[in-house]
Amino acid sequence: MTTLDSRPITPEVRDNYLTFTRGLLSWIFTLDHKRIGVMYLFAVLSSFFVGGVMALLVRTKLLFPGKVEWMTADEYNKAFTLHGAIMVFLVIIPSIPAALGNFIMPIMLGAKDVAFPRLNLFSFYLWVLGATCAVWSLLAGGFDTGWTFYTPYSTQFGAGGTIPVLVGVFILGFSSIFTGVNFIVTIHKLRPPGMTWFRMPLFLWALYATAIIQVLATPVLGITVALLVVERAFNIGIFDPSMGGDPVLFQHFFWFYSHPAVYIMILPGMGIISEIISVHSHRHIFGFRFIAFSSIAIAIFSFLVWGHHMFTSGQSPLMNVVFSAITFSVAIPSAVKVFNWLATLYKGSIALNTPMLYGLSFIFLFTIGGLTGIPLAVLSTDIHLHDTYYVVAHFHYVMMGSALIAMIGGLHHWWPKMFGVMYNEFWGKIACGLVFVGFNLTFFTQFMLGSQGMPRRYYMYQPEFKIYHHISTGGAYIMSIGFLITAIYLIYSLFAGKKAPANPWGGASLEWQCTSPPPHDNFATTPRVGDCYDFSAVRWDEKEQGYVLDTEAHLAAAATGKGH
Amino acid sequence: MKQRDTPFDDPTARFEAGRFGMWLFLIALGIVFAATILGYLVVRIDNGAAFVPADAPRPPGMLLASTVALLLSSVTMQKALRAGRTGDPRQGGLMVATLALALIFLVAQLMAWRSLYAQNLTISDNLYGWTFYVLTGLHAAHVIGGLPPMAITTWRASRGAYGPEDFRGVTYCAMYWHFLDAVWLVLYATLWIGSMG
Repeated sequence: MTTLDSRPITPEVRDNYLTFTRGLLSWIFTLDHKRIGVMYLFAVLSSFFVGGVMALLVRTKLLFPGKVEWMTADEYNKAFTLHGAIMVFLVIIPSIPAALGNFIMPIMLGAKDVAFPRLNLFSFYLWVLGATCAVWSLLAGGFDTGWTFYTPYSTQFGAGGTIPVLVGVFILGFSSIFTGVNFIVTIHKLRPPGMTWFRMPLFLWALYATAIIQVLATPVLGITVALLVVERAFNIGIFDPSMGGDPVLFQHFFWFYSHPAVYIMILPGMGIISEIISVHSHRHIFGFRFIAFSSIAIAIFSFLVWGHHMFTSGQSPLMNVVFSAITFSVAIPSAVKVFNWLATLYKGSIALNTPMLYGLSFIFLFTIGGLTGIPLAVLSTDIHLHDTYYVVAHFHYVMMGSALIAMIGGLHHWWPKMFGVMYNEFWGKIACGLVFVGFNLTFFTQFMLGSQGMPRRYYMYQPEFKIYHHISTGGAYIMSIGFLITAIYLIYSLFAGKKAPANPWGGASLEWQCTSPPPHDNFATTPRVGDCYDFSAVRWDEKEQGYVLDTEAHLAAAATGKGH
Repeated sequence: MKQRDTPFDDPTARFEAGRFGMWLFLIALGIVFAATILGYLVVRIDNGAAFVPADAPRPPGMLLASTVALLLSSVTMQKALRAGRTGDPRQGGLMVATLALALIFLVAQLMAWRSLYAQNLTISDNLYGWTFYVLTGLHAAHVIGGLPPMAITTWRASRGAYGPEDFRGVTYCAMYWHFLDAVWLVLYATLWIGSMG
């Protein structure tokens, strides 16, 4: 019947973006968003490895309550600072937008590339330059300020590598701004005919909301670290209280960026989860508009809550109350998303593939991460919990258990598309299970540690905390085994993986309609767009060993509003 | 094989996307300056009259000269844009004039710094001096950063490269340049008012 005629829109192509041109130079100077995305992916995952090793060093030290010979307190400070700074600035912020987003977004739009391909490459090399500054910092003595660079410690004390890393953060900020500019213009100007805002995949809504934050908030970080550099260099500045400056002003500036930045980290993850949950349960996403607008609402709220990091800084009680109240309201759009994902799952035909397992992990972990934020937003309990392991556990549930888990889920979801090979599903599930169990062992115990008064960032601790620290470190080791297995089977699949069909999961958005891996131009002609969450025209095809979309039926269903 | 450097088939769509992107970039830069000025205002207002040391010099008159140079450069830039839009061959000369005025602006800023330094106002003695040098330096850095693209545009304009079909480069330059002009006026006014005891 028509099933076999509805092959991918792009005719059979021998070349794909990986084989389009060859040689190292063709990668170094590439303007292809897919190659830039792959380079980001490689860079981000390498940084993730380094940041992860630092985390393991920190956790291993904490097996012992007292001093250890192999790591002094100063080295410990540098290790956790490096862990935080790498994970925030080099891994999580660029991970989903710059790596997966770069690869998938133009294809989802049916476009040939992002709006400004040269700027895209420039952003990548800014990232590389920023990462180089971090290495420079290590050679210059490292840095031990914590990733938050609080003054006056960062301006008057701190290790010798403080200025280089601040320069690096400044450069990384501009990399992020340019990516944001590129994405906003791409989504505005390159949507194909028929893709209205409400026909646009939710991943793109999330990237759009993220890009707005990147453009509006990151400049403040840039100027703040620049002022820190000048202050440290000349030993005077507007954050220096001895000369009439105001160190709390630094905290305001820093968190004016860094709070929105946590939404730069989580929003794209939420976008991925919307895709994964819908595709792998083969069910139309529930409450499309609510999920879409909740992304925008979160982006707006993100600018109004930075003061909740400063409840104990001595800011005025009135401001504390206002920031606390607005912080509670962030729960509303977040919960809107979670409930809509659950409603999507309800009566869905759920396939427990690895991406889906990560998706379900996300919902579980994000819910814990979100709910444990409430005691931190409450002024009275925050006084007790501030700067304890409770905070560490809370933001790891959101930053790692949610943002990073979504990134890994998305990586599995789009891996067949990106490289044209299937990874090993069995080991994928095992690894996901190990990461999930290890993660909860590591960080759930830290809620208990923190609520009992164990401060964060401490080198030594009371003996009664020993058992919790041991469980936590054990969990970290289990998690690393999970990630190690993931790295092995993903790399193995590149060489010996089964060839991937164009549409292995049964998705209906545009990226599943071009070949795996995509050709250099993505699509030969601008594709026509239906409802990307309407799976009624998707059928399993035995010959393809994958799903095929009956394009005509799909478009017809969209035109009549069926399936929406 | 030559790489595709734009996803747009239609030059008009490409141009519109470019202008939109430039606006977003200028918004981001605007936030950089807004945050800096806000930081200045916080320490300025916190410290009250004590912010300005008793013997501190006011912003030197040389800044008036640099302001005039920058304003004039905005005028020549706008004329160059018009010439570029219509393919008028005067575009090259007008861009050269803009570039020259930009250099004059920078020299005047430097002379203003030197005159303050000669009156014993340094960056590291008090916040009055620190904020003056940092704020004007931040702006000057953006002018300097604009010079390379400006020079390329001047070179292309002097060969008559811009015409009704393509005046993208000169448009982006003009947007950036007018932005820096506007920022300077705000910055100058802020510093001047802030220097009153």
